[in-house]
Amino acid sequence: MDRRTLLKTGVAAGGLGAFAAGYADTARKVVEGVADSLAPKAKAANIHGASLKPEFTVDPATGGLTPDPDQQVSYVMCMGCTTYCGVRVRVDKTSGAVLRVAGNPFHPLSADPPLPPDMSIKDSFVAVSRAGEKGLDGRSTTCGRGSAMLGWMASPYRVTQPLKRVGPRGAGRWQPISFEQMVREVAEGGDLFGEGHVDGLKALRSFDPIDPKAPELGPKVNQVGLMSSTNEGRENFARRFVQKAFGSLNFIGHGGYCGGSYRSGSGAAMGNVKRLPHAKPDFANCEFIIFCGTAPANAGNPFKRQAAMVAKGRTDGKLNYVVVDPVIGHSDSLAAKHRGRWIPIRPATDGAFAMALARWIIDNERYDRTFLVQPNPKAAAAAGEAGWCNATHLVVAEPGHPREGFMLRASDLGLTIEGETYAEKDPFVVVDPATGQLVPHTALAGPAELIVDGAFAVGDKPLRLRSSFDLYAESARRFTMEEYAATCGIPAETLAGLAREFTSHGKKAAVNTHGGTMAGNGFYNAFALIALNTLIGNINVKGGAMVSGGAFPAEGKGPRYDLDGFPGQVTPKGTPLSRNVPYEKSSEFKRKKEAGKAYPSEAPWYPAAPQLGSEWLTSALNGYPYPMKALFVWNANPIYGIPGLKGAVATALKDPKRLPLIVAIDPFINETGAFADYILPDSLLFETWGFAAPWHTVPSRTSTARWPVVESKNAKTADGEPITMEAFFIALAKTLGLPGFGPNAMRDAAGTLLALDRPTDWFFRAATNVAFAGQKPVGDATDEDIALTGFGRHVPALQATLKPEEWRKAAHVFTRGGRYQPYAQGYDGERMAQKFAPALTLYNEQVGTARSSMTGRRHSGVPQWTPPAFADGTPMRKVYAEADWPMLLISQKSVLMGAYTIGLDRLRGIHPENPVALHADDAARLGIANGDKVRIATPGGEVVGTALVRKGVMRGVIAVEHGFGHTEFGARSHLIGDTRQPDGAALAAGINLNDLGLSDPTRKGLSVWLDPVAGSAVRQGLPARISRA
Amino acid sequence: MPDSRRDFLRGFAAVTVGAAAVAPAGAAPTPQAAVSPDKTPRWAMVVDVAKCIGCQSCTVSCIYENAVPEDSFRTIVSTYEVQEGDRAAMVMLPRLCNHCADAPCIPVCPVGATFQRADGIVVVDADRCVGCAYCVQACPYDARFVNHGTQKADKCTFCAHRVEAGLLPACVESCVGGARIFGDLDDPKSTVSKLVAKGDAKVLKPELGTRPHVFYLGLDDRLTGKVEGEPTLWHPTGRETHA
Repeated sequence: MDRRTLLKTGVAAGGLGAFAAGYADTARKVVEGVADSLAPKAKAANIHGASLKPEFTVDPATGGLTPDPDQQVSYVMCMGCTTYCGVRVRVDKTSGAVLRVAGNPFHPLSADPPLPPDMSIKDSFVAVSRAGEKGLDGRSTTCGRGSAMLGWMASPYRVTQPLKRVGPRGAGRWQPISFEQMVREVAEGGDLFGEGHVDGLKALRSFDPIDPKAPELGPKVNQVGLMSSTNEGRENFARRFVQKAFGSLNFIGHGGYCGGSYRSGSGAAMGNVKRLPHAKPDFANCEFIIFCGTAPANAGNPFKRQAAMVAKGRTDGKLNYVVVDPVIGHSDSLAAKHRGRWIPIRPATDGAFAMALARWIIDNERYDRTFLVQPNPKAAAAAGEAGWCNATHLVVAEPGHPREGFMLRASDLGLTIEGETYAEKDPFVVVDPATGQLVPHTALAGPAELIVDGAFAVGDKPLRLRSSFDLYAESARRFTMEEYAATCGIPAETLAGLAREFTSHGKKAAVNTHGGTMAGNGFYNAFALIALNTLIGNINVKGGAMVSGGAFPAEGKGPRYDLDGFPGQVTPKGTPLSRNVPYEKSSEFKRKKEAGKAYPSEAPWYPAAPQLGSEWLTSALNGYPYPMKALFVWNANPIYGIPGLKGAVATALKDPKRLPLIVAIDPFINETGAFADYILPDSLLFETWGFAAPWHTVPSRTSTARWPVVESKNAKTADGEPITMEAFFIALAKTLGLPGFGPNAMRDAAGTLLALDRPTDWFFRAATNVAFAGQKPVGDATDEDIALTGFGRHVPALQATLKPEEWRKAAHVFTRGGRYQPYAQGYDGERMAQKFAPALTLYNEQVGTARSSMTGRRHSGVPQWTPPAFADGTPMRKVYAEADWPMLLISQKSVLMGAYTIGLDRLRGIHPENPVALHADDAARLGIANGDKVRIATPGGEVVGTALVRKGVMRGVIAVEHGFGHTEFGARSHLIGDTRQPDGAALAAGINLNDLGLSDPTRKGLSVWLDPVAGSAVRQGLPARISRA
Repeated sequence: MPDSRRDFLRGFAAVTVGAAAVAPAGAAPTPQAAVSPDKTPRWAMVVDVAKCIGCQSCTVSCIYENAVPEDSFRTIVSTYEVQEGDRAAMVMLPRLCNHCADAPCIPVCPVGATFQRADGIVVVDADRCVGCAYCVQACPYDARFVNHGTQKADKCTFCAHRVEAGLLPACVESCVGGARIFGDLDDPKSTVSKLVAKGDAKVLKPELGTRPHVFYLGLDDRLTGKVEGEPTLWHPTGRETHA
């Protein structure tokens, strides 16, 4: 008897045993089945079950397409994460149900390569089919989460009617109200909750100063603000209301608690800490990538494209890479063999890792000297470089000199300059290697001296000057390779090996980082990592570091319509709520200085940072720099997303006296919206309009369009418009009499005034701007394109809104789900077509001359290794010693779950909770077994989770996957009118690392732990202990 | 990368993957020389494991395409952390019905509901199936389940309804890494034929002689059977195939 027979017999015997054991029902069915099987076969076998009817049929031989008349296939946008991929959505025309989501083959975030942008819709359907096996190489995908997003559309936790709270804030009781009542109450205020008078927006729109004694704070309109998430395609509309029409300075996204440390560190390395430029590897052509603080196949932006390109690069392509991370993730694959490797690192030590590589590269002179020595763009171009940097530029290093820390400028040499002293056109100064003399950086046609540290006669005195490179090299040499190794936990020989490998591919190598740097030293970790790219001069090089290909102007001043400026527009003024300006310019500073002690300020200021959502709620509730009177929270969730925030502010947030009006604009009740006074149901996913763009990694110019493929389930306004953020702000603006909305609110290219009465007035014109941008507008959408994509129901309104020559071009953009520059145009020979023109900065003057408002000390202008610290510079381990808190917590992004996707049942079905990963050696020491309940405590809180004992995690680390541990979104059922939301206990699964975040023990008032320079939230390297629960 | 460049990995244990290479039992049938246009195809899938990033797009796409009930999967990517000396590594292993040429699920069906079509796809005729689950037990790959909604045996059909419409299976269409490749193994010009013809394709549990028609490229021999590793998805609701 062979094995095969054994198997059969075994199974049959087992089956019969079970049969005999009493499956009477089965027996009956078997008998019926056998009888049926003997009957003549009258019809085809029923093999397809409830599988969907195909959306179209393609003849594999001819490629002929036959659409299914009952379905439409629409190209729109996914909103499952901040990547905003182009997707194709199948809709049942009869029921309006979204059936399945896959990728848009025109879209470079979903297909590689994407289809030619002017292909017909019909041909694009054939291109993803089996015909000629086109659909294999031409496949266009959604990730697991993107494929599951349609589950949102029928969510029982969705809010479709405006809600007003009943009882105290956060009680979970709501009264449904009309749109018109909500607009009226938010505008007019009054005794809205029986708790006393609440100012409405009408009263709050005052241009009187907040505090006449501190005029720098600006007008009272700044006491109204909006927290957004990311630009999902409507941000400029919301900004139009808050900033340009209402006039407040305070509008903020989620950067401060997403990847803010990376953006700030990158901004420092790329010359601008306010605009935060950043580059990414050109994945398609790069030969060696060091991922540190980011894991390309786990998360990041654009997650799916990165992941796909890593998969392709390590198999068919030339890519080798390492992922330097405290925890292993999906970027590692045994099957990829040596092409991709995980290298464990201690949390919050990325800076030590990066500075070790820098030290080795400098000591061994493995840097790209030709790149570094070019003092200006012309010299760089002449030397065949694709970019340039300030390595040779001189910094005043004379101790005590009034200009210490500033770049030496031509005006300091007494030379005649254009414009104002120390302004943009006042040249930097370098040493001419031919003469040894100081010359403006613009004066040389070739290299300048790279390593400079000496006294030079400037004016009548000798002045110590050092080159940016020299300061950077000194910083790198502050620690030995062995010291760096001991800090980051990576052997010195591995550090050296990585440095050698990184400098062995010419410019076809890159370092990439992101949210893994969100530690108490995140700014310098990121600055140090990104500066490594400067050392090999890879910017703008094919296979090196690229900037994004950019987008077409949708919601701005476009070729056909001005969606930017308008008559009566306000220019906001004052101090941003997050104090990201120099403390030294404040009245508080002057007052304290006069009193003899200028430092510390009441709380940190962040002169080298952008506006910070991470500081918003604490600032608003502390009333510093000023109290907030009304807060809009639009599809944002700081209470869930900012480590330590809930613990710090939950009580204060419930007190309407501290923040009188909170309005959430959201289709769901999230952890922040739960504290709201009103909830305005925003439109949801496939019901929405919008124009987004790839955040990065697409070299060609790309705009993604989103349009309602199904009718909104939301209640309607009195005008019959579905309730949306846009409808709300239009109605509010009209009630308040604000400019920029209603009649005569916008202009076309000829200057004709047009109305902004409904959302489509905005989005149709945005589409037209996209369609007409560039040298040549897009083609016309055909009737067939419109019919196949189901866009037809929007055509009457499109025709009524746009000019006759415009509407088919706007429809071209909508039917393709966007506009796309031909993909190959993203490259310019061996360079990227889109280039980063400014200087990369090894020494960043903005950072190096900014002071901590807590200590009065200057920040380092060059990358450095510095341990995680609190606002006043106290190292975290000085306050929370390792003996008491032996572990470090880190946040790991999930491949599947996002911050707001816990309600997707089918995702939870695959991955229902987030057990916390810890190393087998730690687990053995602590007596923790796989699957044990464990108690995790930090100085900020305590939670109970499930242990997942692994070896793919650094010793001493507890890794928590983000996206779980919800208390809202359905995890708590709210009472809406008389209806209680369904029980959603499963949505509360797992734990949220942010519930364990810290307050800053060196600060007064309500606080969370933020990076002292970037002001970014700290979620990596939280001190912790763990034990069996 | 060349060995000379691998020294950056010093400090880590050397890696020897797939040292114990064995010729895949039940390896691919040799593609025939030519195919006439009206010849019945033999559908097969190749999974290039190094291209899988474990995003579960296949899993979710299949769920929606095929109305897979909440506690079941027709396909899933088993995700493990494995040990290789001192090195931890991730294994992402997409699993589905293997559409075996000698499928153990077929002979055990008491009512003849499970059968193999001429194109190689193993299917269940729901009108005949009585939900006895013998086939579920017989499948060595855990690829079948009884659908609690229909009370019928349920499994991957290679999306036969799509394939017949000239389309690709849902999991293939939306595979982010391009790991899943589908086509006619009897057509020597098809991508799957060419990949299988290279000779290093493997199948799961080759020792059972089931002659699967899902082939894996780059699969460590130690992963063709039960995987010694820590599943990282953590208790998916219902059944995940860890066969």
